[in-house]
Amino acid sequence: MGTLLDALAMVAAADVLIAIMASAVYGLVVGSLPGLSATMATALLVPVTFYLSPIAAVATIITASAMAIFSGDIPGALMRIPGTPASAAYTDEAYAMTRKGQAELALGAGLWFSAIGGIVGTLSLVLMAPLLAEMALSFSTYEYFWLALLGLMCATLVARSSPIKAIASMLLGLLFACVGIENPGGVPRFTFGSTDLLGGIEVIPALVGVFAVSEVMRAMTTPEPPPLPRRRFGSILAGQWGLTKKYQWPMWRGNVIGIIIGVLPGAGADMAAWVSYAMSKRFSKEPEKFGTGHPEGLVEAGASNNASLASGWVPALLFGIPGDTITAIAIGVLYMKGLNPGPTLFTERASSMYALYIIFVLANIIMIPLGIAMIRLASLVLRAPRAAVMPVIVLICAVGSFATGNNLFSVMLVGLFGIIGFVMDRNGYPVAAMVLGIVMGTMVEQSFVTSLIKSDGDILPFFERPVSAVLAAMAIAALLWPVLVWAMRRLRHAEPA
Amino acid sequence: MHLSDRVTGGFLVLLGAFAFWAGSRLPAVPGQDVGPAVFPMVIGGGLMLCGALIVLGVGRSFEEPDPEPTEAHAGLARWLGKRRVLAALVPPALLLFYVLAADTLGFLLTGFAMVLIAALSLGATLRLAVAMAIAAPPVIHLVFYKLLRVPLPEGLLAAPWA
Repeated sequence: MGTLLDALAMVAAADVLIAIMASAVYGLVVGSLPGLSATMATALLVPVTFYLSPIAAVATIITASAMAIFSGDIPGALMRIPGTPASAAYTDEAYAMTRKGQAELALGAGLWFSAIGGIVGTLSLVLMAPLLAEMALSFSTYEYFWLALLGLMCATLVARSSPIKAIASMLLGLLFACVGIENPGGVPRFTFGSTDLLGGIEVIPALVGVFAVSEVMRAMTTPEPPPLPRRRFGSILAGQWGLTKKYQWPMWRGNVIGIIIGVLPGAGADMAAWVSYAMSKRFSKEPEKFGTGHPEGLVEAGASNNASLASGWVPALLFGIPGDTITAIAIGVLYMKGLNPGPTLFTERASSMYALYIIFVLANIIMIPLGIAMIRLASLVLRAPRAAVMPVIVLICAVGSFATGNNLFSVMLVGLFGIIGFVMDRNGYPVAAMVLGIVMGTMVEQSFVTSLIKSDGDILPFFERPVSAVLAAMAIAALLWPVLVWAMRRLRHAEPA
Repeated sequence: MHLSDRVTGGFLVLLGAFAFWAGSRLPAVPGQDVGPAVFPMVIGGGLMLCGALIVLGVGRSFEEPDPEPTEAHAGLARWLGKRRVLAALVPPALLLFYVLAADTLGFLLTGFAMVLIAALSLGATLRLAVAMAIAAPPVIHLVFYKLLRVPLPEGLLAAPWA
């Protein structure tokens, strides 16, 4: 009880509350602008968190990402342009509802079920994390290695692109992580004599470059989307209770699927939304209505992507393994603030963990009034011309990356990663897989090399412990999954002939 | 910059080969077989394999081509016509400009130039571009310099609150 009170006091501090409100508004606005994703919103926040207290820093990340994932639904429903990739799964459905004159119902469902998903996901985090922490205490480097590898493999599965290209992107990220002297031998590796590279390639400039600069680069070469027609909205929440009762079962299924996918390292909100939407259609009593403006899939997938956001913190907090790109950023912030991820976090810093849960619940509750305000203001915000927004982003990229280390080298890195991200994206290489590779590189190498030293270069001990054998099987299955899908497709194509 | 799979795959093979070769030349930790060389060599091998598979076109059936936009281009992209992909170089060039100019010109002037050029390249009207270029840098300066205490360069034109 004492820790809970401590946690409440931590969250009630003025700087934390201001940080939550400010980042909520920021997340809603950035997430709703097409082309500016939830990941980009979070990445641009990192330099700011440098200067905040630990709890305030974590609070900004949690709040901004939850808000951005919801508000990505807004341009999806109104303009058929998903604000964030996590909304892409049900954009067509929501837009069809808008055309039927049910924009309020579609946006309200996005908001209401996002908030429910977020809170249920948080409850799962509260219940699951301490239980798994017990188990994690007995993990050795073999388990950590397979867990990290599983995360990387899942990240390649999420990308709806060629699996080979996704694996190549991930390897490229791991190669970037090799740069510097932080390696088992402490020797300068791939530094080409540059002192700036001795410290390695920082994650933040890479993130900002790949997710923000390359997005501006894309805007430079593509035409501006058509402006949003002005409209007045009726009541947003009316009818949501009816939907909740009518689609209770799909809603819970969405929550559970979101939680499961979130807990898997490497798979996050995007995948949760796609899987849940597909599930909803598969198990619906009226699958023929899907795609014509039917709220059922919206309920299930909207709940799912926000639920995964909270449960994605389970592997992040316990093992330092990100559930997706947003938690990858969060892990960086945790390290920066001395809250190093690990099972002992739950025993030694229990009050900080409770504070984190409270922030999650709080963020999802204030999402409802702020979200309604955002929907009403959407026609105003979404009218902001791209030519006014993007230049400011470039300037913030420069200042933000400079702020992380007060050196100009990271500004150069940001530009360089912008080019890398742009070229990769154009040619079908998923950038998120590369980013996870950069984030997890040091950890994968450490657990891999330490395990090899322990086993004297033998591969067998990697499979001998029961938990590591299970994790190894999962990682290898994730690797072979695309081959299976390909073979199934061949068979199905062969049959009618 | 649509490159064929042969080009990108070939590049990955070369990069993998380089990582493998450079990794193998790293000094070992005395008295131990496993050192800093292992990981880059494993990655290099993986990259070579993936690159070769990409050159051969394995896995292409999983890709979906992006739909071509139907709206008209604006700003620099329209002016460049068929070579509009070059417009993508504007943001990295602006960042390079920041690196080179920020210390002499100061944050406000550098920011003014960056926002102005970026807005015009995106097809903003001169009025909007100038308005953004005058308004945005001071606001960003205020947030980062005053609230976050980032030492931004003063240069030729200092902000009144600096």
